[in-house]
Amino acid sequence: MAERGVTRRVRVIAWRDFRYTVLTKGFLIGAIILPGIMFAAIPLLPLLIDSKTAPLTGRVAVIDPSNSIAKALEITLPKTPEETIDLEEGATNTSTTDVALTVESVPDPSHAADLRLQLRDSSLQALIIISSNDDGPSTELLIPSEASPRHTTILEKSLREAVTRVRVSKANEDYERLTKLLARPKIDTRRVSPDGSESNENAQLRMLVPAGFMFLLWMAVITSGNYLLTSTIEEKSSRVMEVLLSAVSPIELLCGKLVGQAGVAGVMLLMYGGVGLAGLGAVAMLDVVPLPHLLWLVVWFPLAYFTVAAIMVSLGSAVSDLREAQSLIGPAMILLTVPLILWIPIVESPNGTLATVCSFIPPAAPFVMILRLTGANEPVPLVQALLAMFVSAATVVAILWAGARVFRVGVLMQGKPPSPMELLRWIKAR
Amino acid sequence: MNNLVIQLANVNKCFGALHAVRNVSFEIQRGQVCGFLGPNGAGKSTTIRMIMSILLPDSGAINVLGGSALDAKDRIGYLPEERGLYRKMRVADFLRFMAKLKGIARADADVRIRSWLERVELPNVSQKRCEELSKGMQQKLQFIGAVLHEPPLLILDEPFSGLDPVNRRLLSSVVRQLQESGTTILFSTHQMEQAEDLCDQVLLIHKGEKVLDETMSQIHSRFDPRTILAQPANSIDAATQALKVVAGIESMRWSLEQKSFEIRLLEGVDPQHAMVQIMRATPLRRVELQRATLDDVFVKLVGDSVTKFEATSATEQVEANYG
Repeated sequence: MAERGVTRRVRVIAWRDFRYTVLTKGFLIGAIILPGIMFAAIPLLPLLIDSKTAPLTGRVAVIDPSNSIAKALEITLPKTPEETIDLEEGATNTSTTDVALTVESVPDPSHAADLRLQLRDSSLQALIIISSNDDGPSTELLIPSEASPRHTTILEKSLREAVTRVRVSKANEDYERLTKLLARPKIDTRRVSPDGSESNENAQLRMLVPAGFMFLLWMAVITSGNYLLTSTIEEKSSRVMEVLLSAVSPIELLCGKLVGQAGVAGVMLLMYGGVGLAGLGAVAMLDVVPLPHLLWLVVWFPLAYFTVAAIMVSLGSAVSDLREAQSLIGPAMILLTVPLILWIPIVESPNGTLATVCSFIPPAAPFVMILRLTGANEPVPLVQALLAMFVSAATVVAILWAGARVFRVGVLMQGKPPSPMELLRWIKAR
Repeated sequence: MNNLVIQLANVNKCFGALHAVRNVSFEIQRGQVCGFLGPNGAGKSTTIRMIMSILLPDSGAINVLGGSALDAKDRIGYLPEERGLYRKMRVADFLRFMAKLKGIARADADVRIRSWLERVELPNVSQKRCEELSKGMQQKLQFIGAVLHEPPLLILDEPFSGLDPVNRRLLSSVVRQLQESGTTILFSTHQMEQAEDLCDQVLLIHKGEKVLDETMSQIHSRFDPRTILAQPANSIDAATQALKVVAGIESMRWSLEQKSFEIRLLEGVDPQHAMVQIMRATPLRRVELQRATLDDVFVKLVGDSVTKFEATSATEQVEANYG
């Protein structure tokens, strides 16, 4: 009978906290409408990415006494929009540009001043000046000040290829044959999983996926932790705390608030995580988030949440306003930002000393472990994962125990905030 | 069947160097209305919070409804001294929330909420946000939250403070009705008239110590009346001059309300003898011994300094008006 009463009271407190957080304008906009808009925008992404850029049309003048560069440029300038895809090495570019340029060869360098004037009023799209000096021919490309970076890249690439063609021709070699010989061989890198299935390697994505998991966990946990902090302070300052304590015990109130905000964090995790997965699905890259990664998230979410939430709610109970809370929360926040600052070295070397040590430092441990476990460049030893889970679980128990004691004393305290020594006394009090 | 609803034995509570409650012991029987009186900072709210198990005593034992208040929260109604509501919540939602905490089913809660809102004259507010209500309305709302689950024990900390006379009277009548229906009520107050009107038993604490724990009839018989009301038959000036020579008078003042002198006697003076002396000194239309009020008892027990101040003020007043 008594247990039923406890369960009911915890449930009622939890539901109120959940409902009055989730149904506020700020939360609806930040955690539901925004990801909803992102979700709705996913089908539009390919359309946006595939859209064409502004066409490059007009005249290009080449001052070249030999007339060889102008002829080569006519060959190297893109003839179709598709030829403008992947202009730079290593860059992925799916957008296209229409190119319709007329190349004018000007053998007499004395026309340079006149052509520069045309460039200034944009009646000329580019002026190329080839001149000879002691080190061989030099090439200058002059463009109007308002020329777009993409147009500049197209002109640079075409000019570079034209100059190379002329050099090869002067050396009596076959340009097409040399190009084929010197082309970078394409290497198809694939990872083979223990069950024999193969997946394509994408180094950049492999860095971003663990960061995504860590940021998702961090955002959900810190946001709900902040809600917990502010709602506790509000209940204290509006004097509703004593009304609640007339109906529930401090521990029931604490449990209810923790459970309610766990629901809030869960909603955020589902909304943003869902949008992330939907985005990966839209570009057919769901394979970068295997099921074990999601299971690790399920394991580390409660450990991360209860660690942060217990700190927030106990500090909220000890102070009278948010400003006072900021000074007490500082040390914990410094530790919580460790994974945000060190995520790159941790993901690059998930079994390095830095990553291993940080895995056992609460309250940062859950965030570091999710980085290591979802990075998977090299498997994290299972014993380390289990030990980190044990340390985090023990931390949760210790922080909840201390937090409950601070909460019990702090909820009815008004006036100046407690010093760290006073907090210790509260924890030790009977 | 045990009739004790609240039992405190040698309860102590300290906050740092402050000994807020010292060895307080008392008992409250089922169905009684007990007034818990004391000056500001006497330890009333601390004692009430310990009874509610919101604070734990440093030593001593507290028994509420046969055990700890923690196990009986669903059977206790509590109105704390500090008024607090969720400002953004709607009135009906707040009361439903309180009802759910106390284990009342939603349908039943809605019926009770409607009935109580009408009973305390708060119709048409159920869809308003708590912050939209006046302070007095918020207080009545919080009172409903304390009684909605029909608890056998009701603890009210300063229930009448901040209320206008009409609402004070309304709440008094509700408290009386609850008492008639068998509810045991403990309430702290500074409103002595209210306490005198409602209480069967009075507890008075001062500087954390219990200084009085008696029924109203015990108080009336224990505290000798030392004030005589005397209505002069002649002019007030003449009566004032005549009364100045009567021995045993500590102070006197003219009461416009009573149209009489309120003559306060010195400690140890026989009131019967003093009345005879007063009648001999000046012709009177009416003379009577005034019954000791809770106000008098309060002042006598907790404030010698207050008594002296009042005596001086009264003498000065008589002198200013008639001297």
